[in-house]
Amino acid sequence: MASLVPCPNCGRRPKEEFTIKGAALSRPAAGADAADWFDYVYLRDNPRGAYEEYWHHTSGCRRWLVVSRDTQTHEVAACRDAADGSRLEERA
Amino acid sequence: MSEFRPTHRPALGTKQTVSSAALRLSPLPEGTIIHVLAQPGEQDVVSFLGRFTKSPAHAVRPVSPGQWFIVHDEPMPHQEMKSLFATLEPRATGVDQSHGRVRIRIEGKMASRALSKGTAIDLDPSVFPIGQSAVTLIGHIAAHITRVGSEAFEIIVLRGFAESLWDDLARMSLEFS
Ligand SMILES: [Zn+2]
Repeated sequence: MASLVPCPNCGRRPKEEFTIKGAALSRPAAGADAADWFDYVYLRDNPRGAYEEYWHHTSGCRRWLVVSRDTQTHEVAACRDAADGSRLEERA
Repeated sequence: MSEFRPTHRPALGTKQTVSSAALRLSPLPEGTIIHVLAQPGEQDVVSFLGRFTKSPAHAVRPVSPGQWFIVHDEPMPHQEMKSLFATLEPRATGVDQSHGRVRIRIEGKMASRALSKGTAIDLDPSVFPIGQSAVTLIGHIAAHITRVGSEAFEIIVLRGFAESLWDDLARMSLEFS
């Protein structure tokens, strides 16, 4: 349930402590095409199901997290510190 | 030139200590609060900090990954703080928050019951033992909570929110007084 977010630094915390930025997307390279940047800035898939988002633990550790949740069931599959592990850019 | 002279006075100076057999709420002295931020990747910063805070009066409170508060009841002389900051570099940076944050103490056998009305964190001693700290919301106000005794907590809050949080805590404590 996304009402309780398992912060890797703080443990399970209520969603009120967080600020949601939105989809965790791979950032285009600096010199990428304007069309790529347009997609990155404006286009979202809005899937019914698995979704990866940036959440900021504003009233806790104040770290950026990547929350993997299901938009239909609100189940949280994973939550990691955005600075940990493989970076999104490298995974793309 | 303005007639108005700003005077430094304790943020909670006008508050009456809330005291009963079950619970006591009191402002702590506005001494020293230093925010320490480590460089990314630095290891063992806690033991490194421990060298400067040997006296039990200075306490190191974890804040978040790579961040701590050093707290002390007495103000730290300017020169002493300057040399502390110099010693922390380049592994970590110190920021004087002594006037930016305020400490409140809540203690007594109903202290955790009263606090639990405002925060979602589990304050049971089995998961929140003495020395444990957490940053969390108390109502709508972000605060740093540390268990400093078996039935005592220290709360660190931004100065501008201190009065508001105090009033909330006092109201949360009403049924125990
Ligand atoms: Zn957190």
